[in-house]
Amino acid sequence: MANIMNSLYNMRLLDDLARQETIIHKLHPLMKLLTTVSFLTVVVSFGRYEISGLLPLFVYPVMVFSLAELPLKPILLRILLVSPFIIGIGILNPFFDQQIYRLGGMEISRGWLTFLSILIKSGLTVTAALLLIASTGMDRLAGALRMLKIPRIFVLQLLLTYRYISVLMEEVARTLRAYSLRAPNQKGVHRSAWGSLAGQLILRTFDRAQRIYEAMCLRGFTGEYETGGFKEIRVWDIAYWAGWMLFFVAARLYNIPMVIGSLITGVIR
Amino acid sequence: MSHHKLEAKDLHYSYPDDHEAVKGMSFCIHHGESVGIIGANGAGKSTLLMLLMGVLFPSQGEVCVGDVHVTKKTLPMIRQRLGMVFQDPDDQLFMSTVYDDVAFGPRNYKLDEKEVETRVLHALELVGILHLKDRAPFKLSGGEKRAAAIASVLSMHPDVLVMDEPTAALDPKSRRRVMKLLTSFKHTKIITSHDLDMIYEMCDRTIVIKNGEIAADGVTSEILVNAQLMDECGLEVPLAMQNCPVCGSAKE
Repeated sequence: MANIMNSLYNMRLLDDLARQETIIHKLHPLMKLLTTVSFLTVVVSFGRYEISGLLPLFVYPVMVFSLAELPLKPILLRILLVSPFIIGIGILNPFFDQQIYRLGGMEISRGWLTFLSILIKSGLTVTAALLLIASTGMDRLAGALRMLKIPRIFVLQLLLTYRYISVLMEEVARTLRAYSLRAPNQKGVHRSAWGSLAGQLILRTFDRAQRIYEAMCLRGFTGEYETGGFKEIRVWDIAYWAGWMLFFVAARLYNIPMVIGSLITGVIR
Repeated sequence: MSHHKLEAKDLHYSYPDDHEAVKGMSFCIHHGESVGIIGANGAGKSTLLMLLMGVLFPSQGEVCVGDVHVTKKTLPMIRQRLGMVFQDPDDQLFMSTVYDDVAFGPRNYKLDEKEVETRVLHALELVGILHLKDRAPFKLSGGEKRAAAIASVLSMHPDVLVMDEPTAALDPKSRRRVMKLLTSFKHTKIITSHDLDMIYEMCDRTIVIKNGEIAADGVTSEILVNAQLMDECGLEVPLAMQNCPVCGSAKE
């Protein structure tokens, strides 16, 4: 139960982080969104054996982390949260793809290589998404999505889901607290109570969601989520996006580690 | 000021399970009145508020705000004039900052962002929480949340304030602060509560509801001291009007 309350608090941490006033936070949300989408596209465009090409892309999250002054630990913890799924997806690769691949003097199976590439790609994409939320905030992100003419139904769905997760988790925490106080010798919830607990939870959440929706309607909500508009896009915002685009394209077209390596070896010779 | 009156005419409402929650209620609330709506649990107070606000529609009878009937078509206009403060402020505060929450209503009415800002700052100043504007609502104390919820309604410049248990779950000091705040508003006020002492202090008129019907409607100072009526409706005379709990001597 304490874990649930912690994760609830932690989830809202991203909203708190989004309220800082750093150079990254002040950038126009649309440009940050476009930069992130470009980054994701480049990351997933790499083939499954191209690991060295992916490495320069770590520059992007590292730069954003430091410029946005975001704490490393809570965001890394969130990345770890998805890692079981990623491992689940990639863990069979080493067994099915047993062709030999030479890496330096070592011989490893190609399966391990694809597994590593999946891990790196997922790490980079999840980090980029989290950094975007932590430096922009969900509300402003939704506004940026609307500027891109994403249908309002999808944007609204995203926003309300984001809001209602906390509502659901609060209800879960409250129910579990009430349960554990009356079942002090039990670890977790006994399976005989699972059904009714889940049922209660869903009904309560419906009620709560209904009240929130009513509160929204009573203040003139008609389906469009107004975020109050944005400041104009400045030259600096465009420069930020264009700068990263150049870097992403360069990283995609040239194998930067290889180029740097051959430059160094050339100089030594 | 006929355009500010709120009238319920022979309201009936049954829930889908056939439970009849409101059975023929009629009353008229005029501009500037402070009206308390009281009744035992399940008497139909919340259903009545939902009917007044147009969240539910009566199966028979009608609600009029000024000369306008509450229908699906007139709802946007009605809701601009009637502001409702929910019992649980957490239901009402769903944005990520207090400012955005208070701005939610005005923005939905497509007001210019400059005007939105003026309204938000004014509403926050009125309830005394201007310094909390950039805070996340979930981090506020109970009293601050209540103030934020009231500000989120005030920013829409309503003519009528409808409040469901505005002092519930507040500590004595916060309760007093909210009461002071509400008394300072010149709006028409409709307040449902079980805090009868608060109703006694704040409302000139009281409507007592029993089993979905109006059991009494009149001057608060006469209704709340009527021990027999209060008892029949599952209520009690306000504590401030009861005999001394120590010596049993009657109030003068």
